[in-house]
Amino acid sequence: MTLLSFLNQVIRRETTKKKVIVFGQNVAAGSYLGGLTSDLRVGSGGRIINTINAENTLVGVGFGAALTGAHAIFFMRQIDFLLLTTDHLVNTYQSIRGKSERMTGSFTIVSTVIDHGYEGPQSSLNNLADFCSLAHVPGFSITNKVDTESIIPRYLTLPGFRIVVASTRMLRGNLIEPARVSYVNSDGTLFQYDDGKDVTVVCFNFSLPQGMTLCDILRRRNVAPSLFNVNAMTPIAWKRILASVRRTKKLVVLDDSKSENRSCFSLLAEVEAHASLDKRIVVTRRLGREWLTPNPDQFEVPYQKVAHELLGA
Amino acid sequence: MKSKFDRRRVAQTVLWLRLSQMVINEAYKSGMFKVPIHLAFGHEAMAAALAYALRPEDKVLLTHRNIAYNLARAYRPRYVSAILRSFLHEYMLRPTGLARGRCGSMNLTHPSVGIMYTSSILGNQFSVACGVALGKQVRGEKGVVVVMGGDGSIEEGAFYESLLFAKSVKLPILFLIENNEWSMHTHITERRTPIALGPLCASLAIPFVSLAGNNVFLYCEKLVAMRKKVQQLGMPLCVEVAVKTLGDWYDYKNPQHPKGKWVKYHVGASPSVSLSAWPLLQQHADDPVFVLSKLLPLSTIQKEAAALFNRLQRVTP
Repeated sequence: MTLLSFLNQVIRRETTKKKVIVFGQNVAAGSYLGGLTSDLRVGSGGRIINTINAENTLVGVGFGAALTGAHAIFFMRQIDFLLLTTDHLVNTYQSIRGKSERMTGSFTIVSTVIDHGYEGPQSSLNNLADFCSLAHVPGFSITNKVDTESIIPRYLTLPGFRIVVASTRMLRGNLIEPARVSYVNSDGTLFQYDDGKDVTVVCFNFSLPQGMTLCDILRRRNVAPSLFNVNAMTPIAWKRILASVRRTKKLVVLDDSKSENRSCFSLLAEVEAHASLDKRIVVTRRLGREWLTPNPDQFEVPYQKVAHELLGA
Repeated sequence: MKSKFDRRRVAQTVLWLRLSQMVINEAYKSGMFKVPIHLAFGHEAMAAALAYALRPEDKVLLTHRNIAYNLARAYRPRYVSAILRSFLHEYMLRPTGLARGRCGSMNLTHPSVGIMYTSSILGNQFSVACGVALGKQVRGEKGVVVVMGGDGSIEEGAFYESLLFAKSVKLPILFLIENNEWSMHTHITERRTPIALGPLCASLAIPFVSLAGNNVFLYCEKLVAMRKKVQQLGMPLCVEVAVKTLGDWYDYKNPQHPKGKWVKYHVGASPSVSLSAWPLLQQHADDPVFVLSKLLPLSTIQKEAAALFNRLQRVTP
């Protein structure tokens, strides 16, 4: 099963439970957004709307519906289109959340990062956190079976606003089913999949597959890793990771974002202030000359080099 | 439709809007407020008419120049002093303000009277209005949605997108466009080609109505009819009303106009409006109170205004 099929299945289960408004371009037509919205059903009285191509207005619509107490879910083909909607992401959201009355309705944007390669310069943006940081918007990445089952049921129609994003590279691949879950924070936004004592590996944005591969390599060399995936896009409590880092004294951070304002910087600052390390390795994207032309768009981690540095430390 | 046309109540609302804004303007002059307030002298006729035409189940979305609509929707004849004080306190950001001091002026909402949302970003409110109408529809709630904007906001792409969405999804929304011809310090003739809203709406099969003249009673009749049509058809309708924002013309100097340029009042206290001059600002049809004085006996207006003025001038923050 692919992540896409599983995500569609979980979303379908949730939208059926409530009188929700599901809307977006082609949500109930054509390829159903590549299968993401296939066969969606909504609770009695809800609506599924194939909309016009007007992303800015559609985000305003979601906020307006939520103001009335309704539950709105906007499926947007790719997060590049979110750039057209930043007025609402910032100004409308700030205006609504500043009210003293509690918001009873919900608005969730479900979208994808186009990172499977060869899409060209206008689909190269891959960092959800940039949007979230504009107005402290809650944002979640979907990467595997465990976080899908945790985040979608909890947040899809929870009162308030958030953005949920998956990557097309991972959606098309086999569903990742972590063998172990050592820890989930109370918000369901930080997941620990391994609790080893030798090295702490923390994955940001959509770098979990690379983190899992690295951990496999380390285990084969008798190194016990702790593996974390940070699914939240705005700063969260780093207590659990700090505790791990203090124990292992070795930290590997993977962040596949192309942004200059990466989420991992927040963790690195905390570690710098609150823990002493024997080894710190940060792997981020290297944007070469091909960045703005169609390219494979791969986040390449030098696994053997990282392992060697860790073992030599 | 309301069974009896209460002309006295409508006239009182117009006078309330004029006099309460005059009191707020005096407080503004004294430096009482830190938040920017866009006064709406000259906008009283449409604001009073809308307050008359709307029903409790209707929802309203406004812009930064929302003061007349907010005052009109809040108006209760017996409680004018308390209401005005709640506005003054809101503009002073006190917890005793209308919105507990959390909104100020440009984003002032009043959900208990249906004012759900206001936006200081031009055109932002149109799509939120579409969502409010859609949300009400899905929740099985009655009533229509009214979204107000100015001639500047219809220049934004969001206006067209929202008309298109509202028509496509069949939403009962009244798009109310106040055309005061100015966007900050530029007149329409300085910044763009004319926008013929009628043909624009016709291209989307959206009914369009044009109003002018500041006859508040005519506006009431028209708005009641428009509201009924929007509700019955379950479709959007657009109305454009010509309005002159009164208060001041002033000499604006900048590198392009080193000798100065006369521009219309936009924001802030209006130094030329004095409480002692109540209630008229102009002996001209641009002033809704002047038009009111042609619709009702002058003695009636003076009596109503004097009674209201006596109550409002004693209001202190």
